[in-house]
Amino acid sequence: MGKSDNTELTKKARELLRKQVDRKLAAALETCVRCGICAESCHYYVADPRPEHVPAYRAEKLRQIYRGLFDPIGRIAPGWVGAVPVSDQMLDSLVETSFASCTMCRRCTVNCPMGVDNALVVRAIRSLLTATGRAPEMLEQLAEAAIMREEGLEYIKDLFLEQIAELENELREKVGDLKARIPVEEQGAEILYVALSGAHTILPASVLFYATGTSWSLSLFEAANYGVFLGDTPRAKRITQRIVDEATRLGVKEVVVSECGHAYTTLRWEAPNWFGKPFPFRVRSLVEVMAEWIEKGKLKLDPTRNRLAVTYHDSCNLARNSGLIEEPRTILNACVTDFREMTPNKQHNYCCGGGAGLVALPEFSEQRLNAGKPKVKQIKATGASIVAASCDNCRHQLGELNEHYEMGVEVIGLAELVVNALVLDKGRVPGKEPVVAATV
Amino acid sequence: MSTVETSAAIAAIVGAVVAVVGCAWHVRWMFSLPFKGDVATAKGSASKGVMYAYTLGMAPWEKESTRRHMVGYLRGVLFHVGIFAALVVFVASPWATVIWPSVRLLLAAVACLGGIAGLLGLAARFGEHNLRAISTKDDYFAVALVSLFVLTSALAVLSPSAVPVFYVVSAVTLVYLPFGKVRHCVYFFFSRFAFGVFFGHRGVIEGARSQ
Repeated sequence: MGKSDNTELTKKARELLRKQVDRKLAAALETCVRCGICAESCHYYVADPRPEHVPAYRAEKLRQIYRGLFDPIGRIAPGWVGAVPVSDQMLDSLVETSFASCTMCRRCTVNCPMGVDNALVVRAIRSLLTATGRAPEMLEQLAEAAIMREEGLEYIKDLFLEQIAELENELREKVGDLKARIPVEEQGAEILYVALSGAHTILPASVLFYATGTSWSLSLFEAANYGVFLGDTPRAKRITQRIVDEATRLGVKEVVVSECGHAYTTLRWEAPNWFGKPFPFRVRSLVEVMAEWIEKGKLKLDPTRNRLAVTYHDSCNLARNSGLIEEPRTILNACVTDFREMTPNKQHNYCCGGGAGLVALPEFSEQRLNAGKPKVKQIKATGASIVAASCDNCRHQLGELNEHYEMGVEVIGLAELVVNALVLDKGRVPGKEPVVAATV
Repeated sequence: MSTVETSAAIAAIVGAVVAVVGCAWHVRWMFSLPFKGDVATAKGSASKGVMYAYTLGMAPWEKESTRRHMVGYLRGVLFHVGIFAALVVFVASPWATVIWPSVRLLLAAVACLGGIAGLLGLAARFGEHNLRAISTKDDYFAVALVSLFVLTSALAVLSPSAVPVFYVVSAVTLVYLPFGKVRHCVYFFFSRFAFGVFFGHRGVIEGARSQ
């Protein structure tokens, strides 16, 4: 790499960082005293205790660049404060650090005496890498695919509607009512339900919407937002825009996001800030809606239909980053007979290792499965046969951990457990076959 | 006052001015950066979150990390209490002779313990594999310098003859403050504030959660 190239890269990195450094990121970059107390809060470190897995070590990588670009001492005496010049090699080494060794779960943040937001730092690294063409290709492709779906909607809409019609037949069979529907583009519906690419995120919710007589419409788009994983806010905003437009066009009062951690966090917390104003509709997770139905007595549930011991994995995005802590417990206490908490749990729970887009990156599957060890230990300690999870990425990861570490458990979503326990009017129960995952 | 004493006192005053101006610069810089308030509808209270962040959230039993590393955490607390004692000594030093002996003794004891805690922290930084991997030269120097500042304050409060030495060490420490890691004393408040707003607004902190 020639000197001129490095100068160009330095200039670009400075520009990109300058755009990103706001008060929150500056606080995260400046406050860390490198006490190392965060080490054991990270599932990577617990699984494989080496310095590279200490959260402060990862964040330090961006600080090294930051000091070299913005700190006067870093410019005069880089070795003194550990400033490092920007180079291709340096940025290349950050790919694994930020995309494969951190799920931005913020467990280290809640455990930091200074409250340093390492997730914000790692996101800034991802953003830098994406802008310099270093992001994992798969994430790039998935983000682009989401944008292309919107652009080519008229071509794929018919196929989508055909698939939904098939699912609708399954729904009718399941609830024993030929009038049961999966409405799409329903003008004036109260709820726009945004699912993921899988029947398992549509069918159970459809059964519950049917059972509660809810006015709803299924979104044409998926809730997943790979722009967020890339740290690419403009792209993430564009992907979100599709849902915002659809919700506005249909005039819904509420957008309900499927059981998906990052999709919920994105639409509920991040996106309004990108648009600079609150949305004209409420955003809730299906988990919140189910908990409300149960509290208001809208769902008749028979917990004896879920007799096996169930434990619950708190998604980092839903619990630690969104405060959905009691809602899943309201649901589980109503629909299973033997609910067992993991230790630790709620906002203190360990990340499963599948977040921040990692389940979509086969090149890092070894690191991901290794990082799941603390979760495996937690699950085994409960002695439960079923692991409930309200995030699709977590479910995917837990499923793989189950196979890899031969845990012998079943991984299931909360909505599926609720449907299993559901008693429809006149004592009917939905079709006996459990709802299984299938791709739409 | 001898020339040495006068020079040391002037150096200390210059150091204090540099520290105050430097900290003010950092604060001003932070306020010049964009800060977007969260427009997403709250699930909890950001203000209660901030209250928590500055109070109970700092308690050692509140975090798994500090429960696990209680000795290290208390060592850090002791070090910082020692720093505050040293600052009190620095400000009160012109009137040291009129301070009650019992108060002087207390300040010396606290500073002494704080200084020792600082040195133990330094030893840990040298000795622990993880800490070595994440430390910069600034980290070692800053902890050593501040420990020395705290220890010399203990001497100064007990013996007036040690005051010039304390002033010189103070001058170096205070001049260095805005440039090295010690400046976290400014950023700490911003970081805890952001922590409180984030987790309070989102209803993660139990006491800040909406009913």
